[in-house]
Amino acid sequence: MIAGVSTEFNPPGPEDFQLPPIIPGVDWFTKPVLVAGLSVVLIVWFFYGASRKSAIVPSKLQFAGELGYNFVRNSIARDAIGSQDYMKFVPYLCGLFFFILLNNVAATIPLVQFPTFSHIGWAYSAAILSWVIYNGVGIRKHGLLGYLKLQTMPAGVPLWLLPLMIPIEFISNIVVRPISLSLRLFANMFAGHILLLVFVLGGEYLLLHAGSIALSGVGVITLLMGLAIAGLELFVQCIQAYIFVVLSAQYIGGALADEH
Amino acid sequence: MSQQEDPKPTPNTSGDGWRVLSYLIGGILIYGGIGFGLDRWLGTQFLLPVGIVLGAGLTILLLHFRYGQS
Repeated sequence: MIAGVSTEFNPPGPEDFQLPPIIPGVDWFTKPVLVAGLSVVLIVWFFYGASRKSAIVPSKLQFAGELGYNFVRNSIARDAIGSQDYMKFVPYLCGLFFFILLNNVAATIPLVQFPTFSHIGWAYSAAILSWVIYNGVGIRKHGLLGYLKLQTMPAGVPLWLLPLMIPIEFISNIVVRPISLSLRLFANMFAGHILLLVFVLGGEYLLLHAGSIALSGVGVITLLMGLAIAGLELFVQCIQAYIFVVLSAQYIGGALADEH
Repeated sequence: MSQQEDPKPTPNTSGDGWRVLSYLIGGILIYGGIGFGLDRWLGTQFLLPVGIVLGAGLTILLLHFRYGQS
């Protein structure tokens, strides 16, 4: 390869997440909107198909649907909210879990390859929804003052320390929770996607454009590492969907609890 | 599913670490913020770090009472 031909390597950055509209002129219809819409269609189709013909001996589809549903119902909702009133929240938690899961895993699916929640607005919306729900059910059960007392008076703290603890409890339970919920999801998806871009684009550049055999060899190793990173990311995508829903369920459980 | 409903299932504690993190952020934020505000108001410079350390310390104490005794 001629030395002068090799072009400058442009490292990927946040601008790689600014995708053009799919249909020119329709500015709101971007790839994340398309992926989120497709995920909703897929989830509705899957659970409708799984529950349409409920049989005692389940079909494969029904079995898969029940497996997913029971996972959210038993090991997330019931454990976190308690067996008294968890059933009310299972539809929300189940829908939330599969929506986040599918939109995260979309980053790994070939041709789609974009995590919806790497656009922070999506993460904010999901967190605000959970925030409104856990505060709403708490206020409805305890009344506004009772709920504030529940969320700001930590149990087991000596009386003289209580005035110092109340601000901490208030800030962390009412203010920090939705922020950390959304930032954790957003940052994991954003960082994972950009990490993959670095490995794949960097590997491709080293392999084809760097202009020496040794660097091409490094490029092959980089691409193989990228493959390993993609596997790690698949794991992170599932974990993040799980932790978002577990925390939402725990916040609901905490808001409904009689005392800590 | 003829699954036995366990009346007292073991609580799911997989989110506890994240909740502790949000306590730590909250404690540092509120007392660091108070320190920052007092610094701006009084024209001093030492109250922000004092507030941050105080907030972190108080939060750890709170976590001890909240999670350390069960």
